[in-house]
Amino acid sequence: MTPPVHHLVIAGRDAPLWLVAATMARALAPSGLRVTAVELPSRVTPADLHASLPALEALHNQLRLDERRLLSMVGGAYTLGWNFTDTGGAVPPFLHPFGAFGSPIAGQDFFPHWLRARRQGLALPLEDFSLTAVAARQGRLFIPDSESERYGRSDYGYHLPALAYAGVLKDLARQAGVAILSTGSLSPLRDAQTGLITALSLEGGGRVEGDFFLDVTGPDALLIGGPGNGMERWGFPATRVLTARGPRLVSLPPYAEVRGFADGWLSLRPAQAGTFITAVWKAGPGEADLLRRLPSLCGCVPQEAIVRSSSPGLRARAWDGNCVALGAAAVRLDPLHDLDLLSVQQGLVHLLTHFPRTGRFAAARAEYNRLTRGHFTHLRDFQALHYHLARHPGSFWDAARAMPLSGDLFHRIALFRARGDLAPWEEDDLPADSWRAFMEGHGLLPDSHSPGIDLLPPDDLKAHLRAMLGFVKAQVQRQPAHDAYLRGG
Amino acid sequence: MRSDETQSAQRLRVVIVGGGTAGWMMAAGLSRLLPADQYDLTLIESDEIGTVGVGEATLPHIKQFNDRLGIDEVAFMRATGATIKLGIEFVGWNQPTDRYIHPFGAFGEPWVGVDFQHHWARARLAGLDVGSLQDYCYAIALCRAHAFELPSADPGSIRSSYSYAYHFDAGLYAGFLRDWAVPRGVRRIEGRIINIHRDGETGHVSHLTLKSGECVEGDFFVDCSGFRSLLVGGTLDVPWCDWRDWLPCDRALAVPSDRVEPLTPFTRATARQAGWTWRIPLQHRTGNGYVFSSRYCGEDEAHDTLMAALDGPAQAEPRLLRFAAGRRARAWEGNCLAVGLASGFLEPLESTSIFLIQAALFDLLELMPRLGGIDPRLSAEFNRLFEIHYDRVRDFLVLHYMANSRHGQPLWDHVRAMPLPDSLMHKLELFREGAAAPDYKLGLFSRDSWLSVFEGQGVMPDGYARLADRLPLPDLEKRLSALRARIREGVAGVPGHADFIKHHGAASETTAQGRAA
Repeated sequence: MTPPVHHLVIAGRDAPLWLVAATMARALAPSGLRVTAVELPSRVTPADLHASLPALEALHNQLRLDERRLLSMVGGAYTLGWNFTDTGGAVPPFLHPFGAFGSPIAGQDFFPHWLRARRQGLALPLEDFSLTAVAARQGRLFIPDSESERYGRSDYGYHLPALAYAGVLKDLARQAGVAILSTGSLSPLRDAQTGLITALSLEGGGRVEGDFFLDVTGPDALLIGGPGNGMERWGFPATRVLTARGPRLVSLPPYAEVRGFADGWLSLRPAQAGTFITAVWKAGPGEADLLRRLPSLCGCVPQEAIVRSSSPGLRARAWDGNCVALGAAAVRLDPLHDLDLLSVQQGLVHLLTHFPRTGRFAAARAEYNRLTRGHFTHLRDFQALHYHLARHPGSFWDAARAMPLSGDLFHRIALFRARGDLAPWEEDDLPADSWRAFMEGHGLLPDSHSPGIDLLPPDDLKAHLRAMLGFVKAQVQRQPAHDAYLRGG
Repeated sequence: MRSDETQSAQRLRVVIVGGGTAGWMMAAGLSRLLPADQYDLTLIESDEIGTVGVGEATLPHIKQFNDRLGIDEVAFMRATGATIKLGIEFVGWNQPTDRYIHPFGAFGEPWVGVDFQHHWARARLAGLDVGSLQDYCYAIALCRAHAFELPSADPGSIRSSYSYAYHFDAGLYAGFLRDWAVPRGVRRIEGRIINIHRDGETGHVSHLTLKSGECVEGDFFVDCSGFRSLLVGGTLDVPWCDWRDWLPCDRALAVPSDRVEPLTPFTRATARQAGWTWRIPLQHRTGNGYVFSSRYCGEDEAHDTLMAALDGPAQAEPRLLRFAAGRRARAWEGNCLAVGLASGFLEPLESTSIFLIQAALFDLLELMPRLGGIDPRLSAEFNRLFEIHYDRVRDFLVLHYMANSRHGQPLWDHVRAMPLPDSLMHKLELFREGAAAPDYKLGLFSRDSWLSVFEGQGVMPDGYARLADRLPLPDLEKRLSALRARIREGVAGVPGHADFIKHHGAASETTAQGRAA
């Protein structure tokens, strides 16, 4: 009555397909799972880049992917965060580091102590207390050790040129025992009674049967999509995304630069294989003019440019019947914070935990859909926070500021404004300091801090802060320059 | 230096209404963890009004409370007649002859990155003779041996795999905290409140009139008035969410009895015809009670059931308490915050009353009003967390009732058949289908707690996480038997609970006798 799940068929393309296939095969082959990947034609260009958040390192470790070798193979780079600027200089810049701000004081979070110090006249921003941010400003990496871990988290992400990264992952998938088929197109075949997918029909009459299916086909959602399981659209201000590549910078900054301008924003992500450019705006009559101005906005001539549409939203049910969608087939995020691979990874983590042994999986499916909806809507909230608070002048940003907020986000902002606290959420994948970085960066300062913080004598607080600044300075000076580290020095 | 007068004028006046466990825990916590130059703390209690003395059994979180206040464990145990609690033994909750322990400790350990219960479920489904989940918990082995020592600091040792709580005399604890808080600046007023005045404009409570004629003004009121909920339920009329459909017990008879040997390091909860009885061993006596539903049992019958259940001579006539399961829709309304019984009631089955007071204290410390007015953004967050705390405990309590095999007993037939909260249904199905158990970031209870009660109530998994298959089955079998051996060997040589108490917090003969009197 409930047939076993022996054969998993994964349809998709590019890096997300191979990341999913390699991970599933490696984790579940011992459980008797056979994995077939059905590869559709690539849609990435040499100008496409996957920028990752720190979480990806753990997945790479599971796949036994060595980061230095990977970056050298793909022409990538490290990134310690995002530096937000305004092209007109109208808004002060801020750096969002992937590491933590400061060190706990007397077992309490650093942040409320910093708030108190600010109220008492301290003029230093949060980033001055971050090992990662200070290293980034000096063009250095920050490689954590036990001493720095005691101070605070120092994480980093990667800039991974998409074509080459997909190639590396495809090799990993093959080594993990994934059977690979290629096709120009595909469509699912369903059991007339149950509606479950029984096989994929491939171009040229081929057919691959399976017990369970993953849809990694991106926005096409060739398996999961259909009447009754559409996308819930989220109202983000940007509808156009351009990707392009510029020349490699002589010295590679260890972070991405995100520039706001009147009609949108663009980001420059340095890597060994060039400078990867993303520009984002709202479709309209000014587009042609914007494209003409792009070289001056970027400070270089963008090559290999391609424009795609952006329409963020969430699939009603990421797991429907015997099919689970991962990546853009399940959730489409705004390009701003490079959260695409993170969303794939979150889906994978929960799928591995709940992957069915037989056709009896109603509770697992409900749980998966509940969890991923929680994670993804909170990623959406994280992005909406930026658009809501950003202070760039211009009509694009006026629309952004007017974006409707979810109840959760509205409350989180209100509480932060009141007390500097982040209302805890059960599903929340970004560290508290990431939220704080944006709140502070956009000029939102809380009205108060928790009164227990005032128990620390003011002179002790000053001494703690001084000691932290000294530690940060000394630690950062010992760190390698990004360029030298990439060269293997 | 500012004069005392200006200091006082610039302090936020906090008035705690009611002594008892909730009132004095709040007073002690706020006096220690708020700056004295910003807050003026007053507690009003009346000797005419008795306290309920919420539960005498606690959860391990109480140790964090004591530690944050800087309370010495030995002094505290001595003053309150405390013993150690490693868990709760449930007797007869599924089949009338069943017994299991909900421990304050871990079941096994994760292997190949997969939680233990999946390995256990896998071995069981493979037909291996692996026994009960109960056999893989060191804290349970300690309970069965009536043994205790402080947990090891070595995280790799099985002897570090548990935490502990206390059984204590809640009345003595409130007194202990009063003696601790008053010298630290809490002003205690003895008096009965006869009138509560509200500001005509804001609707906030402005001051209280006492029977003596004294008027007590405040900026912020903490309502610890017990079931009466004087301010939040009374004056401000915040609605009540009634949970009696899920938790039908509404009466308790309580009676102390003489201490007997051995001194168990756990609470016992025994299912009865129309509810359940508790047994809580203290140094100087044993606390007993029968929680029952008045729909299914009269007071006389309850009296007989309780007295027959005692294992030592009764020290008094049983005392009756009336209650209803549920909570206020909001604990914080305007400038009043209800804490403890004033905010809600859940039967003491899992010793959550004192935990819920403590959770309110720690949430309040983050969100505490400052001079300049009450900020509704702060109370909104408090109320959100309050709901999470209560609702999650509720689901866990309901699990004990709904999964029973006590056929033919009207209360038990009713709770077995009643419609369940959707949130609980989902948890049950997840466990049955694939051995997955709740693992919250916020609130109670932990995964291990759910596992113990699932299995204990006969809810068994038909599947497990496929990731567990990465461990070859023969290896798994070896690891399971080695783990059982480690637990067995670990417990050997641990001193008895009574011995531990003798050397750690024993009350002196005279004070213990004085208290028992």
